[in-house]
Amino acid sequence: MAIGVNLDVIMAKRKISAGELSDKIGITPANLSILKNNKAKAIRFSTLEELCKVLDCQPGDILEYIKED
Amino acid sequence: MWNPNKSVIASSICTKITIGIVIGIILTAPYLVNGYVGYAAKNPAVIRPLLVTIYACAVPGLIAMLSLNKLLANIKKKAVFIEKNVKLLRRISWCSFAVSGILFVSGFYYLMFVFIAFAAAFFGLILRVVKNVIEQAVAIKNENDFTI
Repeated sequence: MAIGVNLDVIMAKRKISAGELSDKIGITPANLSILKNNKAKAIRFSTLEELCKVLDCQPGDILEYIKED
Repeated sequence: MWNPNKSVIASSICTKITIGIVIGIILTAPYLVNGYVGYAAKNPAVIRPLLVTIYACAVPGLIAMLSLNKLLANIKKKAVFIEKNVKLLRRISWCSFAVSGILFVSGFYYLMFVFIAFAAAFFGLILRVVKNVIEQAVAIKNENDFTI
């Protein structure tokens, strides 16, 4: 996939667990796991906004463009 | 009160009855064909080709009915837009085309079969389009399910 999700990196930096994060942003742990493992096909602006708010970061800290050959 | 759930149950019952009828026809085909040839005063030489046609059509017919039964069981479990259902629809469609082919060849000794062959091919074509629609719906559902 061309867009990578670096959620675990920023979660480790903020020292927040998956359960706590899913509770705070209001999504299920299963959906957070899909997001963390790069299985998601898309992310809603509302989810991204909540992630940025809770993790105190920018969308660019979570999402990364990976060039494909 | 009539509702979609009862409709699925009614379809499921009809499918099971049809499976029973197909099995019944397979088991009693020689008697049925002999009776028909005697009643309609047909040439006894058609008995063997008629039996070949019936048995050849029974195989894809039975596969199609069993697939339909599985499809309805999935719908009952609320699993509608899944890859398995696309496969089942594709199988039923191919069964219709197979029956159509068999009946088209059988049209060489009994012309009426050619018309039924066209009907079966038309049915197969409709199912193929429905399969394409469901295939797209599965892709959209997957995208929706994986949008977080």
